[in-house]
Amino acid sequence: MDATLREHGVDLSLETRHEGGFTIIEVGGEVDVYTAPKLRDKITELVGNGQYNFVIDMEKVDFLDSTGLGVLVGGLKKVRAHDGSMRLICNQERLLKIFRITGLAKVFVIHGSQADALAER
Amino acid sequence: MATDVVRASWITVAIARDPALVRTVRLVAAAVARRSSDDEEFVEEVRLAAGEACALLIGAGHTEDEPVTVRLNVDSRLRVEVRSEGPAAPQDGISGDVDGVEPWLLLRGLVDDFSLTQDGPRTIVSMSWPFP
Repeated sequence: MDATLREHGVDLSLETRHEGGFTIIEVGGEVDVYTAPKLRDKITELVGNGQYNFVIDMEKVDFLDSTGLGVLVGGLKKVRAHDGSMRLICNQERLLKIFRITGLAKVFVIHGSQADALAER
Repeated sequence: MATDVVRASWITVAIARDPALVRTVRLVAAAVARRSSDDEEFVEEVRLAAGEACALLIGAGHTEDEPVTVRLNVDSRLRVEVRSEGPAAPQDGISGDVDGVEPWLLLRGLVDDFSLTQDGPRTIVSMSWPFP
């Protein structure tokens, strides 16, 4: 596990690995106004290290607010500036609803599994 | 469905402008919603909306010492009111973390009965839901 933020009972976990030319970040826990900066810092660090193609796996995310969405949008802008990509994995209806409401379901490519995300060329 | 609901009593939570405390508001909001319905989709929506409003107002005020106050009430509907000292115009880019996401878009889309008003120096977010 790369990083876990657990203060005041808040839990965000970030695990990073590389596969098929992508950097996969497995996000777990709550991505909110308190924890989202941790995800933003991780993406910024990886982009700074020259990694521009991401799969963000949100299967273990329990909660997502607009701050978390903002971090994802910011990450997408960063990788696109380097002709990179950011694919999301999300199959939880309550999270997908948030992407639809904000119009971001049309901005991100959202897959149901890592296998699907990595298979698409 | 929970039926023994004590109605018309307000629950008030005041938190410092610390993002770490927004989770506490979400937990309280979910608990209040669960008192009136066991519909988990409804509970999740109230939890998300209360936390979202609170998170946005924490970043909006100009008086850092003033708390953000959340009031919840169950009567004919479930009502949530979030108050903060200082203005928060609907088009304000309130938090720098909300990169490219219009701050109030999620709440406007999520909650049918949503209003954002200024009451003197205060900003008040009011939301309500019918019971499922």
